[in-house]
Amino acid sequence: MRWETVIGLEVHVQLRTRTKMFCGCRTTFGDPPNTNVCPTCLGLPGALPMPNAEAIRLAARGAIALGCSVHPTSVFARKNYFYPDLPKGYQISQFDRPLATAGRVAFESPERGRVEVGITRLHLEEDAGKLVHDRFPGKTAIDLNRAGTPLAEIVSEPDLRSPAEARAYLTTLRQILVYAGVSDCSMEQGSLRVDANISIRRPGDPKLGTKAEVKNLNSFANVERALEAERERQVDRAERGERIAQVTLLYDAGTGQVRELRSKEESHDYRYFPDPDLPPLVLASEWIAEQRAGLPELPEARRARLEVAYGLPAYDARVLTSEIALAEYFESVVSAGVEAKTAANWVMGDVMTTFNESGGFPVEAGRLAGLVTLVRDGVVSHQAAKRVYAELAQHPGEEPKGAAERLGLVQVSDQGALTGWVEQVLAAHPAEVARFRGGETKLMGFFVGQVMKRSQGKADPKGVQRVLQEKFG
Amino acid sequence: MSAPAVAAATGARLVAAEASSLNATLHWSQALLDAEARRVEASPGGPLHAVPVAIKDNIVTTDAPTTCASRILEGYVSPYDATAVTRLRSAGAMIAAKTNMDEFAMGSSTEHSAFGRVQHPLDPSRVPGGSSGGSAALVAAGVVPAALGSETGGSVRQPASFCGVVGVKPSYGRVSRFGLVAFGSSLDCISVFGRTVDDASKVLAAMSGHDPLDRTTLERPAMVPPAPRRDLSGLRIGLPREYFPADLHPGVAAAMERTKTAARELGAELVDVSLPNSPYAVPTYYIVAPAEAAANLARFDGVRYGPRKVGPGGDIRALYQATRGHGFGPEVQRRILVGTYVLSAGYYDAYYGKAQRMRARIAEDFRRVFAGGVDLLLTPTTPTPAFRAGEKTEDPVSMYLADIFVCAISLAGLPALSLPVGRTEGLPVGAQLIAPLLEDERMLAAAAALERVVAAEAEVR
Amino acid sequence: MSIGRDEVLHVARLAELAVRDEDLNRLVDQLNRIVDYVAQLDRVPADGAADLFLPGPRQVELREDVPGSVPLARPPAELSPEFADGFFLVPRHGAMEDL
Repeated sequence: MRWETVIGLEVHVQLRTRTKMFCGCRTTFGDPPNTNVCPTCLGLPGALPMPNAEAIRLAARGAIALGCSVHPTSVFARKNYFYPDLPKGYQISQFDRPLATAGRVAFESPERGRVEVGITRLHLEEDAGKLVHDRFPGKTAIDLNRAGTPLAEIVSEPDLRSPAEARAYLTTLRQILVYAGVSDCSMEQGSLRVDANISIRRPGDPKLGTKAEVKNLNSFANVERALEAERERQVDRAERGERIAQVTLLYDAGTGQVRELRSKEESHDYRYFPDPDLPPLVLASEWIAEQRAGLPELPEARRARLEVAYGLPAYDARVLTSEIALAEYFESVVSAGVEAKTAANWVMGDVMTTFNESGGFPVEAGRLAGLVTLVRDGVVSHQAAKRVYAELAQHPGEEPKGAAERLGLVQVSDQGALTGWVEQVLAAHPAEVARFRGGETKLMGFFVGQVMKRSQGKADPKGVQRVLQEKFG
Repeated sequence: MSAPAVAAATGARLVAAEASSLNATLHWSQALLDAEARRVEASPGGPLHAVPVAIKDNIVTTDAPTTCASRILEGYVSPYDATAVTRLRSAGAMIAAKTNMDEFAMGSSTEHSAFGRVQHPLDPSRVPGGSSGGSAALVAAGVVPAALGSETGGSVRQPASFCGVVGVKPSYGRVSRFGLVAFGSSLDCISVFGRTVDDASKVLAAMSGHDPLDRTTLERPAMVPPAPRRDLSGLRIGLPREYFPADLHPGVAAAMERTKTAARELGAELVDVSLPNSPYAVPTYYIVAPAEAAANLARFDGVRYGPRKVGPGGDIRALYQATRGHGFGPEVQRRILVGTYVLSAGYYDAYYGKAQRMRARIAEDFRRVFAGGVDLLLTPTTPTPAFRAGEKTEDPVSMYLADIFVCAISLAGLPALSLPVGRTEGLPVGAQLIAPLLEDERMLAAAAALERVVAAEAEVR
Repeated sequence: MSIGRDEVLHVARLAELAVRDEDLNRLVDQLNRIVDYVAQLDRVPADGAADLFLPGPRQVELREDVPGSVPLARPPAELSPEFADGFFLVPRHGAMEDL
């Protein structure tokens, strides 16, 4: 019996601001505990919130990038519950009048091609502090540096149909928000968090099944694995005729299993009401239009443009636009004179490797262009160029030609030298020569290889081939 | 008098007050007073130079504890000062003492303090009113010329009326709440007690004005104490009939008659008006205020400050429940429970939603009346003079009804004051003046004129 | 509207208030009296969605994203009942979510 999987995701992203959502404390990651705190984010008696203009601007831009309508008036609300990482005993969030609603994100589903997921809402809220459980026996330690950091919560419609789709959606969502400059979206650093809701139903059934909420997901891969585990659990229960209860589950990356939370709390009653310390947030339509105009070219548009303007295949365009920085670097390399497909290959290869390692581009675009020219002119072989690239990455001051020379990688293209080596090789391998003349043209590679050996790799292989072809007539 | 001399004299009066079991103060010391005097002497010339001002103990100060008269904040010393306190100091005032109050400002008699009730300065068996009873009593007893209180539903006007002093509530948003421990955030106003309207005006003006630390303050500069009016000619004063019930306490009724006469003699035109939604003000207030309070008091959990108690379970829940269960007094617990209840799932529309709609109607009543050509409203401040201690503590609702004439004004965010206008059987009676939003100065000027002709300490019958 | 004992205990749980058994009956009675009193508002007709009335500014004024907060005259270590190595300390969760 088949089941349809229904998944919706709630994503929280930290907004790239210098200060917190409601006070001027810094949002720096990794400072000593409880040093970026003040009366407001500590929840001291008498303290009051002061909303951060930049957080609102970034949230609005994120909303626009996700196709949402930004509402001219929205309202901050108190979400009331008790938890040690929540200093005021309530979180300032938004409830029935959020900043933005009704967006959509298009992504490539591994199963269904291009899919559009609805974005129910994007709203502003403040982050809680951090709890540390294993440092003091029998105690929980609380660090409020993070308390008050601005967050945008992005809720998707339950439009995803598989765990793999959930992962693909997250990859695209992240990409859009990074492009828009809204957040660093790093799950490792905690600037992007995911809670997933999953249920199953019979294909064609319009009603949604009872959903389970899965939390404590720390990577996109684990989102997929956790959802797979939970889907299996639900299908298992359904097939045995057992009811699926509405539960909250934690994913255990170690075992790959989901488990129910120890405490069977009845679902939270957050008792939302408009925060009386904060008058309504009113945004002028001109301001909203400015945010829209200020957005950079977003991934989908950039992908399409790379395909058309540079004649690149879809795969290349997708890889190159996976990070906005890569896309910009690629275009700089082309501007510096490199042919588009060659540039694409370099950027998708060695450049991307160093980018993933270091997060940057140690070889700036013009220098890479210079290196590519050396290859084109036969001064270095493609293999050698990769070594030169690695060298340039270590020594940013060097020029490509200089580095190649220093490494002894400059090819020998001198006709005389090449002819000399070729003649030596042909003289040393009469049997193979005869076989070649007899029709085994594959042996060209053998001869080239032998010349390369004799020249200790220095011969320009293309030049060698030309000489050999001449010799054989 | 020099600042150090004022400090010494104030300290002597505080000692005497303590000895008299007034119980109006929670924290004060001669050392702190003297330090204030030195500070003020070093930069003289402010509008409040060397004026000793007592501060209600729900306004935070760094050099004395702030307990809100609650065990849950016993020993808590704030690491920052309230804006109001900083501004008073900049004006040259000397902070004299932290005063007793109903716990977390929840009460109308100052009988709900964890540190004992405050006595009425004229009759120890009676209450001074609340929640700012300590501040009212100190001013009435002549210990300090001015004191800060806070209003959420009349907590300065009502004790001012009971104690026979001036009590002024500004328009919501004209005085920063940064550093006022929140009770009902959309209602709370730091307010002032004074012996005279002029004293109170000066203190209010010194604190007022926009504060970026409080986003509910209005973008307006500070108030300037108004020039005194010679009379009330040209003013139309409305008398809302809902505030003059037939069964009004006869002493209060007589005092109001005298006040009306005085106003007419000063040239005011008195007209009948109606605020038809007034009867719903108290029930509306007792939904809105507890709801906001339940959230505002959630931060008192024993985690980051204040004393801590852990129950038998030994876990975080046991910490919350024991700290809060032991730390909060019964009235505070009742209000937290009511507030939590009215916001809880399934009840929001029935209570909080309805209360918000009613609040809008109450505010609209005032707007309509003022727009109809009325400059000020005049009402009694309280339905009776000060009642006896213990009289209303059994039934919470009977205590709430003490706020019947002051509550609606808080809901509408309007400025209002109580002026002592006579005595009945030795107990003070107050009259209330209400002004349109942001017309605080008009109200203060009119009150100053009335003050000159009404014999505040005379028996009315 | 009558609030029963169970409901009072549920609300007390939401508010993290321990209610002693000997206080419960009186508390139920008092809460019912208060809630019955404020329920007068039931008589008020529901006249469409009226906007929330809050005094103060019509819209919130925003703060520039520049570091600078109200300084603390005393560090968190001096305020907290239990503090070590820079952290506030509380007993471990137990009955709450174990995240």
